[in-house]
Amino acid sequence: MKQSRRTFMQGSAAAVAALGFPNIVRAADVIKIGQVNASPAAEIGWSKQHALGIDAIKAKYGDRVEVTVVDSIFVPQDAERVFRELAAKGHKLIFGTSFSLGTPMQKVAPRFPDVAFEHCSGIVHLKNLGTFEAKYYEGMYVAGVAAGHMSKTGRLGFVGGFPIPDIVGPANAFLLGAQSVRSDATCDVVFLNSWFDPAKEKEAALALLAQGADVLVGMTDTGVCVQTAQEKGVLSVGYASDLRTFGPDSQLTSVVLDWSSDYLDAASGVVDGDWTSTVRWSGFKKGVVKMAPYNDVIPADVRDKLTKLEADIASGATHPYAGEIKDADGNIRVAAGSVLPDADIRSFNWLVAGMNGSLG
Amino acid sequence: MQLRIEPRVTTSIVIQGLAPIIAVTMTLVLGGILFAAMGYPPLETLWAFFIEPISTIYGASELLVKAVPLVIIATGLAIGFRANIWNIGAEGQLTIGAIAATGIGLYFPDQQAVYLLALMFLAGCLGGLFWAGIAAYLRARFHTSEILVTLMLTYIAALILSWLVRGPWRDPAGFNFPQTALLPPAGLIDPIDFAYRVTGSVYFAIFALIAMWFFVARSFQGYKLAVGGAAPRAARYAGFSEKSAIWIGLLTGGAAAGIAGFFEVAGPLGQLSPIISPGYGFAAIIVAFIGRLHPVGILLGGLFLALIYLGGESVQLGYGIPAPITRVFQGLLLFFLLASEFAVSHRIVRVKEAH
Repeated sequence: MKQSRRTFMQGSAAAVAALGFPNIVRAADVIKIGQVNASPAAEIGWSKQHALGIDAIKAKYGDRVEVTVVDSIFVPQDAERVFRELAAKGHKLIFGTSFSLGTPMQKVAPRFPDVAFEHCSGIVHLKNLGTFEAKYYEGMYVAGVAAGHMSKTGRLGFVGGFPIPDIVGPANAFLLGAQSVRSDATCDVVFLNSWFDPAKEKEAALALLAQGADVLVGMTDTGVCVQTAQEKGVLSVGYASDLRTFGPDSQLTSVVLDWSSDYLDAASGVVDGDWTSTVRWSGFKKGVVKMAPYNDVIPADVRDKLTKLEADIASGATHPYAGEIKDADGNIRVAAGSVLPDADIRSFNWLVAGMNGSLG
Repeated sequence: MQLRIEPRVTTSIVIQGLAPIIAVTMTLVLGGILFAAMGYPPLETLWAFFIEPISTIYGASELLVKAVPLVIIATGLAIGFRANIWNIGAEGQLTIGAIAATGIGLYFPDQQAVYLLALMFLAGCLGGLFWAGIAAYLRARFHTSEILVTLMLTYIAALILSWLVRGPWRDPAGFNFPQTALLPPAGLIDPIDFAYRVTGSVYFAIFALIAMWFFVARSFQGYKLAVGGAAPRAARYAGFSEKSAIWIGLLTGGAAAGIAGFFEVAGPLGQLSPIISPGYGFAAIIVAFIGRLHPVGILLGGLFLALIYLGGESVQLGYGIPAPITRVFQGLLLFFLLASEFAVSHRIVRVKEAH
């Protein structure tokens, strides 16, 4: 018990130090880093890709960092306490990996001006609260081109977690990619209003197939769409992780998220003492979005074309949202020769022509 | 051989006092073994679970933040439970209370009104009353099971919340993300001290406990409810109305849950999002039973349940113990507590074969 009392004393001393007297106790050279997840740890999907980001920090800094991960923080009331505890216990860099953690982070950050907060998919920035986000649409556009080449019916099916800009935009990009190789392509879209609801997602996937879709993609936290496509002998595109194991024959490719560069940038900023609150928003160029290896069912010449397209998007030569783009009512939203401005991409709330579904 | 469970005729006071202690000891031993088997130091982990969360003033204040909604809801529920009225849907009543309070907070014409909070409080209370009232009406009028109705209404409430935050009440400046705008300053309860998150809801919880004690121990209506629960036929013979028991039993729970919803949204939340409660409405049922439907017991039960939530976070933070393991441990603790309670009041006997 002695040992544990001592640890407790140290803990409270550190808490006092962090709260009021920053100079009395200084953590040695080890920098403590925290990560808070709104969902449980998992083998695939969103949380897994963020865990890989933490792994990248560990791999680079080894013993110089100490990492604390807190999972399954579902409600904002609890999140606020956890962020505060992490900061009070001397964590100098704290990641929040879900949009829902934003409000608590905005409340806690001003109380700990020496702590760097990084919020994934956030929209609010403070002096010590930065955000990072991926250009999902770049990957979805390439996946759409692959789907356009491989689809027999020209009908695609998209299952989204929530009708938020980060899902609506990529859904549009998926169809625009397909339309770039076959202009008659259409896409039926369903939103689950949940990131993780395998039963509901399965129903949605089967409904999309019944409507004639032969390429499915699910921007959720499961492998259900890829798996269902495999069972039914049609094609699919994965998201977040490479979901090949769920559909070795069905998955054409996957839009893989690799946050390592964001995590490493933030960590090196804190280690070197020059971290500032920034907006990190990148895709192919920095490798935050990657395409999983293309399935051999795609002809070799198409695969080469897709690889080249990735490079063109990374370099800026091709833009997924290049005009002319019409919305579902036929109004021209992006004129020929121009591209959709970044601000409009981040607040995407309309569907392009050929999309069937509602943003309810 | 047949076994039968029967109530004990007499229970010793000593055993009654010892039962929770035995339960906690068994949990500690089993939990220690569990942690050790996972490769974590057992004593330190148990220390981190039970003591560290409340070793600082901030920690203690967080314990109150977590315990207050549990206590408020459990006092309301216990009134009904004493009368054998089973309101399982406090979670839904809390949700509707929070929705009603937020609706007033966001859309009342005078956003700076000094009485805005009072209106929100009233709205929260009425919201909870209304939601529980549906179940009360159906039970009193059609004899539907209030257990099923209150539970199913919880899912409806969650869907209404989901629809509101994604549809009509979505924050116009929120990039389509599913949450409402923040409540105006006049619609937020300031913490008692800005270093902590505890608000005046603590005072309300104390008031609720005292009010419950008066109602249960000192009022004729409370007596009638208790008789109806313990001996329904005697109550009917005495002319105590079953319908009024149904209404009172469900409405007190609904009002308490609705008020708890108001305190959550005007306190630590500040806005509505798709999930606003970590299951307070369901956990409060456990609190009411751990507390043996008595105010003092409910207070202790609420603090205790809040502590094991904080403990789960604390061992995640301190030792990296995965969240599911802490859930297992919490489950063990509740199992032993309720089992010991049961063992005190019941015994298992062998049924002799009749020839």
